[in-house]
Amino acid sequence: MPNLKTTALPHSCARYGVALFAALAWTTTLAANLKVAVVDLHGRPLAEAVVYAIPADDSAAAAPVGLPRVVIDQIHRTFVPLVTVIRTGTEVRFPNSDNILHSIYSFSPAKVFTAKLYSGKATSPVIFDKPGMVVLGCNIHDQMVAWVVVVDTPYFGKTGADGAVELKELPVGNYQLRTWYPAPAFEPRVDPIHVAADGAELRISLDSAGSPLPTLLGTGTAAP
Amino acid sequence: MHIRRLRTRIILFFVALVALVQIAVLVLVNLANLRNAHVKAAEDLVVGERVFERLVQQRAHEFDQAARVLASDFAFREVIATGDTATIDSALANHGKRIGAAGMLFIGQDGRVVGDTLTQSIVPRSFEYPALLGSPAARGSTVVLLGGQALQLVVAPVLSPLPIGWIVVGVPVDDGFARDLRQLTSLEVSFLAEDDAGRWRSLASTLVGAEQQPLLDHMAKWSGSGRTDVVRTGGDDFQARMITLESVGRAKVVAVLDRSLASAIASFDKLRATLVALAIASLLVSIGGSVAIAANIARPLSELAETAMRIEQGDYSTGVEVSRADEVGRLASSLNHMRESISEREARILRLAYHDTLTNLANRSKFSEQLALVIGEAASSRAGVAILMMDLDRFKYVNDTLGHSVGDHVLREVGARLVREAPDSACIARLGGDEFAVLLRGAAFAGATETALRINKSLEQPIFYRDQPLDVGASIGLARYPEHGHDASTLVRNADIAMYVAKRDKSGLAIYDPAYDSTQRQHLSLLGELRQAVDGKQLRLHYQPKVSLSSATVSAVEALLRWYHPQRGQVSPAEFIPFAEQTGYIKVLTHWVLEEAVRQCAEWLREEIRLQISVNISVRDLMSRDLPEVIAELLRVHDVPPALLCLEITESGFMEDPVHAQKVLDRLHALGLKLSIDDYGTGYSSLSYIMKLPVQELKIDRSFILRMAEDADISTIVRSTIDLGHNLGLKVVAEGVEDLQGWNLLARLGCDEAQGYYMSPPLEAEALKTWIRSYHESTAAESAPVAFGGRAEGPRLAEGGGRS
Repeated sequence: MPNLKTTALPHSCARYGVALFAALAWTTTLAANLKVAVVDLHGRPLAEAVVYAIPADDSAAAAPVGLPRVVIDQIHRTFVPLVTVIRTGTEVRFPNSDNILHSIYSFSPAKVFTAKLYSGKATSPVIFDKPGMVVLGCNIHDQMVAWVVVVDTPYFGKTGADGAVELKELPVGNYQLRTWYPAPAFEPRVDPIHVAADGAELRISLDSAGSPLPTLLGTGTAAP
Repeated sequence: MHIRRLRTRIILFFVALVALVQIAVLVLVNLANLRNAHVKAAEDLVVGERVFERLVQQRAHEFDQAARVLASDFAFREVIATGDTATIDSALANHGKRIGAAGMLFIGQDGRVVGDTLTQSIVPRSFEYPALLGSPAARGSTVVLLGGQALQLVVAPVLSPLPIGWIVVGVPVDDGFARDLRQLTSLEVSFLAEDDAGRWRSLASTLVGAEQQPLLDHMAKWSGSGRTDVVRTGGDDFQARMITLESVGRAKVVAVLDRSLASAIASFDKLRATLVALAIASLLVSIGGSVAIAANIARPLSELAETAMRIEQGDYSTGVEVSRADEVGRLASSLNHMRESISEREARILRLAYHDTLTNLANRSKFSEQLALVIGEAASSRAGVAILMMDLDRFKYVNDTLGHSVGDHVLREVGARLVREAPDSACIARLGGDEFAVLLRGAAFAGATETALRINKSLEQPIFYRDQPLDVGASIGLARYPEHGHDASTLVRNADIAMYVAKRDKSGLAIYDPAYDSTQRQHLSLLGELRQAVDGKQLRLHYQPKVSLSSATVSAVEALLRWYHPQRGQVSPAEFIPFAEQTGYIKVLTHWVLEEAVRQCAEWLREEIRLQISVNISVRDLMSRDLPEVIAELLRVHDVPPALLCLEITESGFMEDPVHAQKVLDRLHALGLKLSIDDYGTGYSSLSYIMKLPVQELKIDRSFILRMAEDADISTIVRSTIDLGHNLGLKVVAEGVEDLQGWNLLARLGCDEAQGYYMSPPLEAEALKTWIRSYHESTAAESAPVAFGGRAEGPRLAEGGGRS
């Protein structure tokens, strides 16, 4: 399974989305691609929505080793990316590209930790070894927030600016497709799907009301 | 009650005025005070309300800050985000205590209460006031009831980093808070809550126990928030203001600020006390001041009043001291001037009263006063006192004929001479008219007689008026004390009597003799009686016929005055005629006589008896200027021809003032009257004078007729007189024929008429009428002039004897 490097930047998502589609077209054996389009209740495409598919038979539960490191940077007092989805066991590095100290923390049960990120100084990466949703904050800077969704499946992704994401090379079979969006009191959607040999497509509509994400993204559209 | 004293009135007035003003001020200020106190209390409440609100807000703000700080505390957030309920509660408790909260809550994002150190509730629940969680505006100053407490709730969100809930800090609204508020607002603070049933209870208050009850009672009838009510307690009322506090939920919570009216007024009470003290002080001062002023005015006034009283009583000696320049001083100096001028005027009046302005001698009043005084002194000192009463002899004559200016001059000269001749007299006075008096005492007394004689001698010298000599003599009467009287009036009267004697006797001086008294008394009373005689018809005229010696007719009678006095009987003319002449009363008598004679003549004419009546005229009558007019009037009134009236004037009478006499006689003659010279031979006339007089008749004095029979010389004189008369063309009448011998002689000598007792005494009119009738009858019968001889007694003889 090729590693997917996802970045938080939406414009690269589009490119990578295309690339992904192409890649999926080449490998057609036992895997198929899942295209998911996420919109909000108004039908507007919803970026940064996390999508992951859990196989029905729970076959990919075990966390492999040698997962690539993920970086969540701190740039201009903002976590970049804002939303990150990783496989359980992934190490996340917080490099702190700002020239100030960030004292990050998480009280999320999936990972409770604190870390002082000195400017320009590398710190030990943090291993996210439990599945769940982790909210990161900075003690010094109240407005800094990031979400890390730790999933137990290799099949995950985040929608780009167009609100679409493609999960590549999913073995054909039944899955639970879970969609998550950082909105207050958000209940993750669980959609059972079947990935056929020729892939699957899904369009999901989420209630994104009250989410701080648009503001943080600077997209300006405040959630109603 | 009528206040009389000026001093009291001034004091009372001022004191009353000041008291009135003070009372008015006190009342007004008191009222203003009360009003101010109320207003101030109300204002205080309004201010207090604002302070209260600000304080409550501030407190909320403080707690809000603390809550926010707490909410962002990492450790606290860590506990909240990761801890269990117990840990959360302990954190809440710990931090709550730190910030002085009553307790805290942690509310989850879903509104459920997660941690609670505020209430005792263990029942899972939602937060009671979800509204507070949502909008920030509702936070802070909200007061709620939670868990049975009154609390201010402060809500702060907890971010980690996303909102995970809220902490709610409950700040107690308790008595301590109320006390803090009271300290800052100076008002009593009460927090009250109303339950569903409308009952009010006190949550916290600075009022203690029973004090709260009146307030709770009043809540039912509160007029409304934002208004100031007066809450009545049994004792001290207070003003209160209600502030509705923001609350959520059903319970209504209010704060009531109140202020005791009494305390509000307290400061004004002090002011009032000060004012009262001031009022009393000023009243006292005004009393003192007005007493002083009153004294300042009233005392000098009463001094002036005393001085005025002294002046009234005649004491002009002491004036009032003038030491001030104000109105009182002016009054005092005016009083002084008045005193002086009164005293001056009195002296002047006294002088006038006692002073005879014409002669500069004393006057009657002064003389009387001096006399009384001197007599009083003499009584004790046994000294002698004498008075001379002097009357000028011919003054009236001078005054009437020459005029008053001459008369005044004479009086002044007489006065001067008196002063010269009696320099040592005690008083020389002019009593009035031409009467003077001289008072002598002591040494002068001894020489009183000499003094009187000197005066007489002096007055014998003529008084010159513009070179014309005037002879004015004087008659002086002298009376001595105590011989001739013991009191002034007696002395004066007796001196008067003496004077009249001197005048009568023409002696110049007479010293009083008690013998004079009766005569004078008689004489003096005579004058009065004479007056009565004229009025009371006691006078009569008797007529004595003038019998013609040649013919047998009687064509004329002489009218002689008789007085029939009711008490004395017939009073002889000799007794009152000279007296009348002296007193000037002769004029009245003469007038009466003239009138009666003319009347009688007219009556006789009506009875066809034509008789000429002769009336005796005195010198005084002759000198009176209006005699001719009087006679003319009488003749006209009674319609009597003037030829029937004849006036007889004595020869000596003519000669007193021949020139003047002539003038009057000429006028009388012009009237047509007949004029006769009476008592011829006894005066000092000159033949040349006689020739000029317009007289028709000459009457030879009786003295000649009586002695002509015995005395050849007298008889020669008579004969000569008859011849003279005839030569002058005058009729000659002989008076006093008493016997036949005389009649015959006169007839032989050629006298024209005779008058006497031999023919007839003076008869009353009726008797005369009868006599004339019978005479005419008898002469007609005998057809010859009758000689009354042959009759032993002759024709009617007078009753008794005596001369006409």
